[in-house]
Amino acid sequence: MKKLALVVGLLALIVAGATAQAKTPLKFLYYIDATQAGYAEDQAFWQKFKDANPDIDLQIEILFSQAYHQKLGAYIAAGQVPDVVYMWPTSRDSSALLHDQKLVKDLKTVLPADFLKNFTAQALNSANQSSKQLSELPQSFTYTTVVYANVGLLKSLGLSVPKTYAELKALVPKLKVKGIQTLLLPDADKWPAQSCLFSTISGRLLGDKFIDDVKAGKAKFTDKGFVDALKFYEQLYKDGVIDKSNVQLGYGDGPGLFASGKAAFIVDGDWRVGAYITDKSTGKALIDPAKQASDFELINFPAIPGEKNKNTASGIAGVGLGISKDLTGAKLEAAKKLVMWYYGKEFQTMKYETGAFIPTRTDVKSDKVEPLTTKLSKFYTTLGASTYVLDGSLDPSVFNPLNDGLQAIGLGASTPADVAATMQKAQDALKK
Amino acid sequence: MVLPLRGKVESARAYWAFITPAFLLYLLVFAFPIVLSVILSLSNYNGGKMFGGEPWTIVGFQQFQKLFVDPNFWLALKNNIYIVLISVFGQIPLGFLLAYLIYRKIVRWGEGWQAILYVPAIISVIVLGIMWKMIFASNGLLADMMNSIHHTTFLAGLNHILQVSGGFNITDDFVRQLIAISDPHAVGAFENPVNDLKDLIVSGGYTAQNLDVFRTDMLNLLSPKWTPEFMSQQDVAMIPILFVTLWCWTGMYLILFHANMQKIDNQIIEAARIDGASEMQVLRNVVVPNLSGVIANAAILCIAGSLNTFALIWAMTEGGPMNVTQVLAIYMYQKAFIGAPDFPLANAISLAIVAFSFILIGITLIIEKRFGGRDQ
Repeated sequence: MKKLALVVGLLALIVAGATAQAKTPLKFLYYIDATQAGYAEDQAFWQKFKDANPDIDLQIEILFSQAYHQKLGAYIAAGQVPDVVYMWPTSRDSSALLHDQKLVKDLKTVLPADFLKNFTAQALNSANQSSKQLSELPQSFTYTTVVYANVGLLKSLGLSVPKTYAELKALVPKLKVKGIQTLLLPDADKWPAQSCLFSTISGRLLGDKFIDDVKAGKAKFTDKGFVDALKFYEQLYKDGVIDKSNVQLGYGDGPGLFASGKAAFIVDGDWRVGAYITDKSTGKALIDPAKQASDFELINFPAIPGEKNKNTASGIAGVGLGISKDLTGAKLEAAKKLVMWYYGKEFQTMKYETGAFIPTRTDVKSDKVEPLTTKLSKFYTTLGASTYVLDGSLDPSVFNPLNDGLQAIGLGASTPADVAATMQKAQDALKK
Repeated sequence: MVLPLRGKVESARAYWAFITPAFLLYLLVFAFPIVLSVILSLSNYNGGKMFGGEPWTIVGFQQFQKLFVDPNFWLALKNNIYIVLISVFGQIPLGFLLAYLIYRKIVRWGEGWQAILYVPAIISVIVLGIMWKMIFASNGLLADMMNSIHHTTFLAGLNHILQVSGGFNITDDFVRQLIAISDPHAVGAFENPVNDLKDLIVSGGYTAQNLDVFRTDMLNLLSPKWTPEFMSQQDVAMIPILFVTLWCWTGMYLILFHANMQKIDNQIIEAARIDGASEMQVLRNVVVPNLSGVIANAAILCIAGSLNTFALIWAMTEGGPMNVTQVLAIYMYQKAFIGAPDFPLANAISLAIVAFSFILIGITLIIEKRFGGRDQ
């Protein structure tokens, strides 16, 4: 009897071992803010994926903001690109090498055509990506400049939403007297000022052609137009529209300060809607749905004096998942399963309902979205054309000095002319 | 004793059997990365063949040339020198002095002080960095304390103006007095300060009955506001970091010196005291010479630690704003992993750190040899 039990036990171990060996390991580097609404739902979906795919040993590593870029940069340097990776469509931070060296596959050659037909033409346009291939499938089209306005607060003070910069400036003393900042732009992380505001300023005053001309050597950052754009940015600080303290404020600090009425406006990307709506796992929201409906609006940045391109905002094909170029066989199949799960109708609907983004998947519809998400859809319809997001258009060696320079201008430690000269020097160095 | 030939062979075999694994491990873990770093610093490697990109070649000292003309390198080096200076001439003397006070029982509760001063050294530097970042933040503890002083002064001034004006009586003169006690930057936001401010107050609906609201609003609008601007000024921005560095590691040197002081023969000190030597003379002529070797070793530890300092500054400022608190290790990290990765330049920076460490350690050893006493 003992012998039989031993044999059965050994067989069970062998079977278990064989089952374990059959699992395909899949490393996935994912980007999500664990404090944001929708995180729990997101994680539940990944658990469902694991349950539905017992043959895949999914190892998810989750990071957010600069920590993510630093880790991915380290992985790339070590030659260990994760099997599936969350990435940007252009050369932003860690995504630069993924595009430059084509470290990820062209998804048009990997994903079935009848799956890809569910997405907008804009999302499938390879020209929107630095690598000029579908390195990642953009899950949304992202506007990086959205002004979130606390209209309830403005009304309580007898003020109204500004349509021009002069009107915005006139609000400063009236808000300050009540201890309220006018426009929040937390910029300690360096990229927000460039991505969420200056790109729109540049687009409004100069347009995309100027950036194309600079890259082609037909124009210079030191030209008056670009220096004037930087001067307008400087004026925001001089006029008190943006308080200097924003330069030392972390990106993650913004939503809490805005939702608690410390500022009448915050300028951020459209992705930030998710920070304010209800987190279903806790039932809590930074701004409860009733207040979202009554007291908050999403507006475009007011008209800038001298702007050529009216009502535009900086926008870019959104982020998405890419698959490492080295994958073959079972691993590639597992990665495809994961990517198709992520871009599936169910997952994308959840993302839409939790306010993460408005998907590029065309069949995603829901009546369960909160007012701020509905307002985001309406906001898109009010916009004119989109203009370049500079960190999606310029080389990192050029936009990094801009990021540093915008901080320096905010603190009064550098002049627009100096920042423009530094950028031009970096641009010139690219040609050598 | 002369070993027979067989014994010699066996001895050689045993020697190589023991030495080879460690030697191979050394080559793999230490020598290979160093050699690779040197090669990369002399190359134009940009991700290269390893990732299917363009082939790379040796380009000589181009990266070093690039490095030496980059103002950020010199800024980072200067900040590192500040840290070396505060470490060698701050942590070591302070740690030594505190250890001496405890050792000679000049202060009471010596063990308690030792524990208190050592606590920062056992807490994660990331935790310490975040804590100090919160203290120095624009809406942090330090700003709150400074602003409460500003607010008190402003309110006292405002109350005085209300008193001499005979109550809430908004005239041009009242507004001028108000402007005189206000933050010039806040006043500068008005094109015509006297008229604009007067209009704002008049249209604000303030009355003698709601003076508290008036006081609060004027406080918000006009009170001087303290912001930690020094955290963004070159050189000055390093002061908080140097302070935290001093606070963080002095306790470690205290423990080191105190442990070594216990080894000094107490009879020598007692004899010196009986012969009339003061505490200072005992310190200078007995304790310091006895511990000169330990001091030199502590200085080497300090220099090495200071030049590769990263985590504390990364947690406090990430080298910003505008790179004013950048040090070589952060500069190297940013070149290697952030934005546009430049691995050859990052390796050139790492070699510059090593070269600089060798120079400073060499100087320390020469000084110790020239002026030091004999270690116990």
